[in-house]
Amino acid sequence: MKPAPFEYHAPATVAEACALLAEYGDEAKPLAGGQSLVPMLALRLARFEHLVDLNRMPELAGVERDDGTLVVRGATRQRVLERDAQVAEAAPLLAAATPLIGHFQIRNRGTVGGSLAHADPASEYPAVAVALGAELELASAAGTRRVSADEFFVGTWMTAARDDELLVAARFPVWSGPCGFAIEEVARRHGDFALAGVACALASGRAGLALFGVGSTPVRVAAAEDALLAGAPADEVAAIVVDAIDPPADVHASSATRARIARHLVARAVMRAKEQHAAG
Amino acid sequence: MLPVEMTVNGRRQRALLDARKTLADFLREDCELTGTHLGCEHGVCGACTVLLDGDAVRSCLLFAVQADGANVTTVEGIGGPDGALSPVQDAFRQEHGLQCGFCTPGFVVSVTALLRENPKPSEDEIREALSGNLCRCTGYQGIVRAVEKAAGS
Amino acid sequence: MNTSTAGRFVGQSVKRLEDPRLLTGRGRYVDDVMQPGTLHCAFLRSDVARGRIARLDVAAARELEGVFAVLTAADLNPHAGTMQPTLLLTIAGAPLRPLADGDVRFVGEPIVLVVADDRYVAEDALELVDIEIDAEHAVIVPDDALRADAPLVHPELTSNLGLEMAFPVPPELQALLDGGAPNIVRRTFRQHRHTNVPMETRGIVADYDPASGELHTWMSTQNPHEAKQAIARIAGIPAHRVRVQAQDVGGGFGQKFFTQREELTVALAARRLGRTLKWIEDRRENLIASNHARADVGECAFAIDDDGRLLGTYLDHLEDAGAFPVGATGGAGPLVGLLFTGPYKSPLAAFRTRAAWTNTCARGAYRGPWMFETVAREQMVDAAAREIGMDPLEWRRRNVIGRDDLPYTLPTGMTLEHVSPAETLEQAAALVDYDGFRAEQQRALAEGRLLGIGLGLYVEPSTGMMDPMGTETAVVRVNPNGQVTVALGTCSHGQGIETTMAQVVAEELGIDLDDVRIVQGDSAVTAFGRGTGGSGTAVIAGNACRDACAIVRAKAVHIAAHLMEASPDDLEIVDARISVRGTPTRAVAWHEVARIAHLETARLPEGAAVGLEGTATFKAPPFSWSNACHACTVEVDRATGQVEILRYVVSEDCGVMINPMIVEGQIAGGVVQGIGGTLYEHFVYDDDGNPLTTTFMDYLVPTTTEVPVIEYGHVETPSATPGGHKGMGEGGAIGSPPAVFNAVADALALVGATIDRTPLTPDTLLAALDAFDAAPA
Repeated sequence: MKPAPFEYHAPATVAEACALLAEYGDEAKPLAGGQSLVPMLALRLARFEHLVDLNRMPELAGVERDDGTLVVRGATRQRVLERDAQVAEAAPLLAAATPLIGHFQIRNRGTVGGSLAHADPASEYPAVAVALGAELELASAAGTRRVSADEFFVGTWMTAARDDELLVAARFPVWSGPCGFAIEEVARRHGDFALAGVACALASGRAGLALFGVGSTPVRVAAAEDALLAGAPADEVAAIVVDAIDPPADVHASSATRARIARHLVARAVMRAKEQHAAG
Repeated sequence: MLPVEMTVNGRRQRALLDARKTLADFLREDCELTGTHLGCEHGVCGACTVLLDGDAVRSCLLFAVQADGANVTTVEGIGGPDGALSPVQDAFRQEHGLQCGFCTPGFVVSVTALLRENPKPSEDEIREALSGNLCRCTGYQGIVRAVEKAAGS
Repeated sequence: MNTSTAGRFVGQSVKRLEDPRLLTGRGRYVDDVMQPGTLHCAFLRSDVARGRIARLDVAAARELEGVFAVLTAADLNPHAGTMQPTLLLTIAGAPLRPLADGDVRFVGEPIVLVVADDRYVAEDALELVDIEIDAEHAVIVPDDALRADAPLVHPELTSNLGLEMAFPVPPELQALLDGGAPNIVRRTFRQHRHTNVPMETRGIVADYDPASGELHTWMSTQNPHEAKQAIARIAGIPAHRVRVQAQDVGGGFGQKFFTQREELTVALAARRLGRTLKWIEDRRENLIASNHARADVGECAFAIDDDGRLLGTYLDHLEDAGAFPVGATGGAGPLVGLLFTGPYKSPLAAFRTRAAWTNTCARGAYRGPWMFETVAREQMVDAAAREIGMDPLEWRRRNVIGRDDLPYTLPTGMTLEHVSPAETLEQAAALVDYDGFRAEQQRALAEGRLLGIGLGLYVEPSTGMMDPMGTETAVVRVNPNGQVTVALGTCSHGQGIETTMAQVVAEELGIDLDDVRIVQGDSAVTAFGRGTGGSGTAVIAGNACRDACAIVRAKAVHIAAHLMEASPDDLEIVDARISVRGTPTRAVAWHEVARIAHLETARLPEGAAVGLEGTATFKAPPFSWSNACHACTVEVDRATGQVEILRYVVSEDCGVMINPMIVEGQIAGGVVQGIGGTLYEHFVYDDDGNPLTTTFMDYLVPTTTEVPVIEYGHVETPSATPGGHKGMGEGGAIGSPPAVFNAVADALALVGATIDRTPLTPDTLLAALDAFDAAPA
């Protein structure tokens, strides 16, 4: 199971990387952690003439606090988020989601930016980004721009990023005041892609509820968030969510099963978030 | 062809390689260290696990050129030079944590990394941490016992 | 873990001799064999389940730099001898060919063989093959394959029915089933397609030297002698010029017992090209095209009296043989029918078994190939018990064959003896605290939780009846310095034969374990043997070792008696010294006897041959039986349909255990395969025969987090063979699927929901629970 040939590039700066993407367009693919991309290359389900290795650019890795925002640079390893005290404090939902991703060997290489850019609808980070109201920072030879998480994920493995753009940072707003966060998922086995999952964030006056595994992107149900803010019981919030989703079916679960599980998880997540929020 | 140089089990290894050659294949063929095994080549089974600058990674999901300049440890570098078993390796033997041995290098390396980071894991932590390594022979019984034993020692 | 019969070594949980090299990465599996001048192979495989090859042009592939050859059916097939295994040489089966020729019969069927400098280039070449296949309607399930209007999987044959065998229904049984019995329970159970998944895929290195006409191969195999014969036949090379070696094999579970199509094709290609060819199967190929198993349906009927006693059984069994079954066409089917009543008393039984060809991957041997008899029967027992209002444990207690019933002749003819199903049933029930669990189950139900308990009781045949599977030969050779080399035709692939057979030999000779070395996995240096599989090593190889040791011991004692001027009857061998019983100071060291036998031959007794070795062949009785009872408790999550296994207990009787640690390891591996095969693993085809589960991301093998700690109890009923051992390697995978199924069924029964097929996925269980909720009150 060997990949097709490609030209390998290992730029040292973001500018170099963007220049390569500008030159090669859709013939080039950024290589971050490789935990999702390399299997597809090995199976020859995907192939690119050029791979641009993002792992040798110091400016693309690291976590820092920028006032009310936690800035996670694109090539930051997922494992860093598991251990970094800043992350636990500023974005507990991000810290809680990380151990659910695959296995520790995967998290040793997998990156935050890679996971977001890959945009698998059953993965955790995109839903967390949507729930927290994050912004994704994209750089290209033409400059940088920011896209809200709500607008970033457009379909299965499809984002608003152009072929010549690099996801250089994910900017998570730090939710202040008494908050409650919960992430719940059900997978066939530990570490598998979720059959259904939900990321829930609750503060006084603000709620974020994003499901994963139940659509082609993270799914936010505005009516459910409104109900949550209005103090509706967890079961009611869950019922609103289930009416609004039409999950996919595959060998692992039917649409009905995913919806059923989603409902159960939303109720659980909402309950936990509310308890945590109430406890201040 | 790209030049690659890295340290493997303390020895410098150099080669000229196609960019698409995986780290796993480089270790097995160019370094002639066949202890790292290919069980799936798509990053699920963990038989190819090696330490890259101390971190356990799936060597089938890395291209050798990506490890240029790195420090790699394979299963052959875990025990002593005279064939002495490390505490983890010895625990696997004592607790019958292997049968056909094909998944074993991946487990030995993963467990070695795990215990360096978490020297006294609970049973749940052990199972969760090792859920990315597949075994078909042992039913994981001896493996979990081996980790508990190695952690206890 | 010592049994009551433990000796110095036999019965002890000796740590394995093979471990140090495996733990330090020094194992030598087929992909580790690197011969000079090796070329690498890749197969182009059909992506259509059934169709005609309309166009095949390999010119562009041949042109690619680094490609040595691109072979098609036209290049190879005319030169191929038979591909049937030795066991089936006289049986016409599916028309197997090395490469697909004009048509394809399952997705994954090999069509083209590329030979190149490395696997990377070989795979590049595959993409350059210009091929067009006109898809035709394929039959994917046996029910469709057996319809009158079904297209033929094999046009050379006249139907898609590969095998049909019936054990006629006695009139008394017919009368019972026609309404004569107080209770008649009928159920249909389906087991789904899944597969062996050894961690090491298949592979071969075939080195043909045209000058000498010799073919030297290394293979991931369970059976080097069978491989040698099969390769000799297909390649047209006299067998004595073929050598097959395997040092370490990364699991097989039956997949590598016979030599399969790809390995045979590569060996043939090596012969034709006069080169060293290496083929290492990748995981996608292994999942799609090696072999599948367990796709069975059974329509079952039990006739039961008012006290719950079994009066008679009927089984109508249908198995999916795939397109080109490995080793046997529905070879397990007759055994399924013959064993259906298992460990229960039943005066009457009958069955029909059929195997159907389908346009899918081959059915092959997988750990207990006949085990559907236990699946269907044990699941039927629980269903029948529930239907007549009896606890499944109680039903088993009333019907199980007890010690006083032995020897017990099954209604289909085989006789059970030296078995203990009743004792294992009681031990398992006690270990799992069956009654305590029933109380806990009720408490949980009051809280709205569904807990369940399931049993799986079975007898396991280790068969000796089919030549050459019933025989093994051991050559025990003492070196001039007293150390012993034992050559066996076995081929260990996880079961620790280097250790267990060394234990037997050290025990029998009275020498140290460290002084014994097992040589196996090499057709050139071992006598023709049976390989490793079919739960036969302990009985057959073990007793061959025992008999060969007896010869060596007698010779050594004869020499020692001469040296010490004592009577051989007065001598014993203890701790590598041959001494006069009762006078340990009158002794000669074992290594001294060995030295004299080789190097001071003038001191040997008159007529004694130089050297010290013995060869013996052991032929097993047609059947010897082991047995076990599995007990499993689960919780079914009503919200998600997930199953959590709470406890798993096995009470095993495999007679005298050579190494209890290894026995428990075998049980554990089988149990977890059974858990996987009931809850997680499922090889899925769509309606057109396209595989949907082609990687480990979709074909789900259990991990550390899906399995419980397994608890063991042992009962020891020695077999009639010397040493008292019984084969048990397959059993763990036999009792587990029904134990898990029954536990889930037991949980669902609390709310009136039922299941009749596997896998027990969230989809299946939520649907079952829904069906109950939707049913009219």
